[in-house]
Amino acid sequence: MQLRYVFTELRTGLRRNLSMHLAVIVTLFVSLSLAGIGILLQQEAKIARSTLGDELKILVNLCTQDDPSNSPNCGSGEVTDEQKQRIEQEIEDNPEVRSFRYVSKLEGFDNARKSGQIPDSAISGPNPVVTVEQWPQGYWVTLKDPNEADGISSALVGLDGVSGIKDQRKALGQIFGIMKVLKYGSWIGSAFLIFAALLQVTNTIRLAALARRREIAIMRLVGASTLYIALPFLLEALVTAIVGVGLAAGALAAFQYWGVERGLAEHVQFLPWVDWGDYFQSLVGFLPGIPGIVILGPLLTLVPTLLLTRKYVKV
Amino acid sequence: MIRFEKVTKRYPGPGKPALDQVTLDIDKGEFVYLVGTSGSGKSTALRLVLRELRPTTGRVHVAGKEINRMAGWKVPRLRRQIGTVFQDFRLLPNKTVSENVAFAQQVIGKSRREIAKVVPETLELVGLKDKGDRMPDELSGGEQQRVAIARAFVNRPMILIADEPTGNLDPATSVGIMNLLGDINGTGTTVLMATHDHGIVDQFTKRVIELEHGRVVRDEASGSYGFQH
Repeated sequence: MQLRYVFTELRTGLRRNLSMHLAVIVTLFVSLSLAGIGILLQQEAKIARSTLGDELKILVNLCTQDDPSNSPNCGSGEVTDEQKQRIEQEIEDNPEVRSFRYVSKLEGFDNARKSGQIPDSAISGPNPVVTVEQWPQGYWVTLKDPNEADGISSALVGLDGVSGIKDQRKALGQIFGIMKVLKYGSWIGSAFLIFAALLQVTNTIRLAALARRREIAIMRLVGASTLYIALPFLLEALVTAIVGVGLAAGALAAFQYWGVERGLAEHVQFLPWVDWGDYFQSLVGFLPGIPGIVILGPLLTLVPTLLLTRKYVKV
Repeated sequence: MIRFEKVTKRYPGPGKPALDQVTLDIDKGEFVYLVGTSGSGKSTALRLVLRELRPTTGRVHVAGKEINRMAGWKVPRLRRQIGTVFQDFRLLPNKTVSENVAFAQQVIGKSRREIAKVVPETLELVGLKDKGDRMPDELSGGEQQRVAIARAFVNRPMILIADEPTGNLDPATSVGIMNLLGDINGTGTTVLMATHDHGIVDQFTKRVIELEHGRVVRDEASGSYGFQH
């Protein structure tokens, strides 16, 4: 195969349809950036849920040796096994509860540390202010309905061994609500722009095929293979995809650095934030199911190109 | 070299078939005129040979292969054995004469060395040795048709299909083109030429197959144009 011709045609094609290619690149850039932000927000919600629980959950803190709550339930000091059995029984029997999970001192401590509830200064040094032993055990209780937790709260709040009930539904509900709106907003915006990009790719190929119709007709007649005829089109699509993906990856990196690390993470410290590992995942995708922009970009240009060139250059 | 067995080609919609139970056999090295009025089925027959169309019924054999059931990916290989010339030349206006001829070799992956050797030889064969650097619009109609013939012949096809190759040319130029097609036929290439040009058919006597309403109504080994419309 003479690739010299293919690359000459590629150069000519890119130059001839420069404005169309630029339009495709800009649309791809914006749509992929939005898709990437959507993926990052999805991941952010996942991280936040795994650390803080979600709006369906309440945390039942059990008494510690020197419980800071001064709750009358903690008169006997550290919660006993009998008290825990009683509490578990109460949770299990409550109709508002879907499921529950025991949280050890260590797990609770780790979660609090990750979510910024305990500052690093409090656990470092030879005499840390907060230790694992001081941290309360607890139960994550998952509700059937986030709006119905009064029964379980009132049933538990007076039980011996229960230090307090941390109901994060309101605060977390708002945060997750905002995340959901932003995530779906960016995905919807991205979907519209992806649709626009697809139309632009279609138009670009149609124009390119029209501009090359004489060459294509002769190539078909003299026996050039379909792949050879389609190759300049596919390479043009690939070039626009690479540029679009490159720009979107840059924009996402800027979002991660200035938006998350230097922005949100500094101002909202009680939430764990997506890191550079998540950024790279947004590029390559969270498998299974969510393709990253490195996959999405070429798919968006190559698939319509393949379909259309089959139509236009069919031998 | 080309065989039609009871070939019928029906296009979508009502009406008579473009070709109706056509059976014909063209041997290697033959020169055959395909004559008939507009709509008689000449172009359909040529497109069937090129496998641009498939017959509705019947079988088409080209270069020893039954092509109506040929897989799509094999079609380019078939077409490399067929050269095609049209009434309107179909040259690429932004390429020189040499580039136009070389194009037919480049796109099937011939090496630069081979192209550099074969293109000047072919241009010499068609009488355009010194015009390789000209652009198509700097040439006369006859010269442009010679370039088109050079492009069709540069890959040394077994079959040359010519669809009204003299249709846009004056009689004197047409004679030159016919001589050139005769020379190509002399190298062993089968030539199948669809034409309305009765002067040419009568002057350069060859086998004539006449189509009328999609049927073969005459097949003479050494015929004349035969009808005057």
